[in-house]
Amino acid sequence: MLFLLIKNFISSRVVLTGMLIVLLAGLIGIYNGKRHLERLQASIEQTAHFQQEHIGRNIQYHNKDMGLLLYYLRFAYINQVNPVNGLSIGQRDVNSSIQFINIRNLEAQKYDTDLYNPVNLLAGNLDLGFVLVYLFPLLIVAVTYNLLSEEKEGGTWPLLAVQSHSPVRVLLQKLAVRAMAIFALLALLFCIAVPVLSIPINQLLLAVIGLSVFYLLFWFAVCFWVVSWKRSSAGNAASLLTVWVLLTFILPAGINNYITAKYPVPEALATTVEQREGYHAKWDQDKRPTMESFYAHYPQFRKYPLPDKQFSWLWYYAMQQGGDDDAREQVAEMKSKLRQRAAASKRIGLLVPTLHTQLHLNTLGQADLENHLGFLDSTERFHERLRLHFYPSIFEEREARAENWSRFQPEYFTENPDLDRMALYLPLVLITGVLVALCWFNFRRVMN
Amino acid sequence: MRKSVLNLMAKQVVATAMGNKAVLLLMWLVVALMVYATITGVATFRTQTGIRKQFQQEVRKHWEEMPDKHPHRMAHYGYIAFRAKHPLSIFDFGVESYTGNAVFLEAHKQNSVNFSEASFSTGLLRFGEMSMATILQVLVPLVLFFIGFGLIATDRENGTLKLLLSQGASWKEIMTGRSLGLMVVAFTFLLAALLLLLTGMIVSSAGFTLDGSLRLLFLMLTYGLYLAIICVTAVVVSAVAARARAALAGLIGVWLLFAIVLPRTTQAIGTYLYPAPSRIAFETGVEKNILQLGDSHNPDDPYFKRLKDSVLKVHGATSIEELPFNYAGFQMREGERMSSEVYNRHQQALLRTYEQQNKVARLSAFLNPFAAVKHLSMAMSGTDFQSYMRFQQQTEAYRYRLAQHMNELQIKLVSNKKLLPADKPYSISSAHWKAFPDFSYQGLTGAAAIGAEALSLAALLFWAALLTVLVSSLSKKLKAV
Repeated sequence: MLFLLIKNFISSRVVLTGMLIVLLAGLIGIYNGKRHLERLQASIEQTAHFQQEHIGRNIQYHNKDMGLLLYYLRFAYINQVNPVNGLSIGQRDVNSSIQFINIRNLEAQKYDTDLYNPVNLLAGNLDLGFVLVYLFPLLIVAVTYNLLSEEKEGGTWPLLAVQSHSPVRVLLQKLAVRAMAIFALLALLFCIAVPVLSIPINQLLLAVIGLSVFYLLFWFAVCFWVVSWKRSSAGNAASLLTVWVLLTFILPAGINNYITAKYPVPEALATTVEQREGYHAKWDQDKRPTMESFYAHYPQFRKYPLPDKQFSWLWYYAMQQGGDDDAREQVAEMKSKLRQRAAASKRIGLLVPTLHTQLHLNTLGQADLENHLGFLDSTERFHERLRLHFYPSIFEEREARAENWSRFQPEYFTENPDLDRMALYLPLVLITGVLVALCWFNFRRVMN
Repeated sequence: MRKSVLNLMAKQVVATAMGNKAVLLLMWLVVALMVYATITGVATFRTQTGIRKQFQQEVRKHWEEMPDKHPHRMAHYGYIAFRAKHPLSIFDFGVESYTGNAVFLEAHKQNSVNFSEASFSTGLLRFGEMSMATILQVLVPLVLFFIGFGLIATDRENGTLKLLLSQGASWKEIMTGRSLGLMVVAFTFLLAALLLLLTGMIVSSAGFTLDGSLRLLFLMLTYGLYLAIICVTAVVVSAVAARARAALAGLIGVWLLFAIVLPRTTQAIGTYLYPAPSRIAFETGVEKNILQLGDSHNPDDPYFKRLKDSVLKVHGATSIEELPFNYAGFQMREGERMSSEVYNRHQQALLRTYEQQNKVARLSAFLNPFAAVKHLSMAMSGTDFQSYMRFQQQTEAYRYRLAQHMNELQIKLVSNKKLLPADKPYSISSAHWKAFPDFSYQGLTGAAAIGAEALSLAALLFWAALLTVLVSSLSKKLKAV
């Protein structure tokens, strides 16, 4: 019996074409992920190389003037890329993974975006995440929507119902055959992706696989639930497609509109205005208040008094510092706004499996908004370290030669994602459970 | 074709659609989504326009209030330009969420346009946005396919088709009549969209202009044509399919291919064919070229040394202090000109690469009417790639004008004498700042925007012609069973 079910299923032309299309899309997705990773890697290497060249050239010109040298010098700070990012590109295409900054006003530098074609972003990335979230469900719909109705419409159902003790069991067996095929396809894609993207086999990868499996199980439950309504094939197909559109487009897009309108971020533009005013206004003001707030920020530098000159680097960097300090409030507000957005998305995502899966794939790939905010925070600390290191040499007007420049290689930010399995799987498991219960109820009511 | 037959055919379609509860539910859902899209679209437009206007005014006010100072300080103080939203952006959000909104314009340096909605997004944005345009482009066709798949196939299945034909109705009449009926449903959606859009425009107090009305009219014509194409497609598939089920499967396949798979794929192909440089590659490329010409930061740079010598020679001077104008300003003007030329060359190349990437998707409009309407719609709403490029080009032009204007002021008005450390710095009157005009973005006119999308328009007309031919050739070949 089971053998017959398998044979029947595999010989279907629709099934085979569908699986081939998804396989092909998956391979393209893996390839795109690989290209994305390679591109990032190339950028990182290029930055490291350029930094050396750049430091070397500038020391040559400005050896005697440490203040001027540090005006020009830029240092790379890199958001480490996890190979899992190749599965889900997330926000890494729009948010730059490399900060290449000087020790001046940080607020004027850290939001600089990567170069990208906005039309590409609008179209969306064709990565494995897309194949998983969008195309796999369609495939599941295509192989299950007529699970019962094809038997009814083909007139084989009464026969099956009479022959078998439990007709639902036949349906479950049919479903199991389909599930095995789909999961085999998923396994195949992962088996290809892991070596191609050089993903280490660890807890992180397991979490990604676990998330994918639970997500697909959810879709099987949805399909079985619709099948349990015992409607016609056309009715089922239309219903399931509507559910698919609802989950992959209408709900996420609607929620996105809501979040965009609910949490506008005027603070971002305010930051730009404030830091510029904060810094430039100080040129025209008395120098003492600028110095006072600088000393208040860094009591340890009080030992460097303001030289009696029209221009001094001490004053200049104190003004630059002032730009950052003046924008601080706006920056904090902006970050809290963005964290609110992230939290709201994840909260709503608990109820929308597509959203939940995509957001968490991004999180696991270290390509979500939180990762970027963490990177920005860490960039601030990196920038501060640079400042504290160079300020004394600038204020004491040391020669550039005195510094060990080979030390200044790109530094890395690594996020340690916390793998909260409960938060990852539970929402999917619960929704799947509810659907299974509904199926059971529907079948029990009429079939017994 | 007889009018009465067409009328009858069309009326039946509307009656079927209205009689089906599931279809009615879907239709109301679509209308509700349109209302939601309008409300959120207007809300975002109002807040964003308000915020940007406020900051743009603030920036101008600060600029004008700057005290007397050295012009080069003003060149560094610079300007911030904010991208204004087009009033019709409440209809189609286009690429706006992916483009930056603020750019700091200063001397010597071309900054990136920052703070796009995408950079603030949690990844949610990638599921798409709910705009009236996407509803009309993606969801309405799906609803039309759900209504249309059985329009002829069901008649064939239950034998009424044979009856119709034997009673004297021709294939052409049946197909045209069914298409017209479906179009009535489609245009009802369009009318609802138009009313909502007009309401939204009034509420968002964006104002009506002649240009805006032209754009609106053209938008409606474009969508009308697009939806008509969708309706005829549904009827043709329904006429060709042996069974209603097959017609539905075929139409769903068409929809998935056109609306979901092809847009991503064509764009991915474009990106693959024309790889664009990363930021670091771009920056190092620009810097390398500038260094080849001359490095104004290098005190011993041969180019600037030669320049100085030749200027001194022309004026018969031995040192720059003897020159009748400010030499530092002169040198900066030259440096700005050189570096901007190099930057613009790279920037143009980059934008050309992007345009080539987009070209694949644009050409795909001949395979996919969805791509055609998408491009036309964004262009009419001022939210397309073209508008994004224009903003970038205009801000860069403004930046250059500002930097060079300050250099000119320095050349003319600032003394050449080197100051002693205790001297008061040179400064010029703040009246010069007020005299420098504010930045204002000049959008394309509606007519020019249509012209730029001639390709998409041609694709849409091609589809209309193709389907007309198809209907008349099919009506000679089709069988009732």
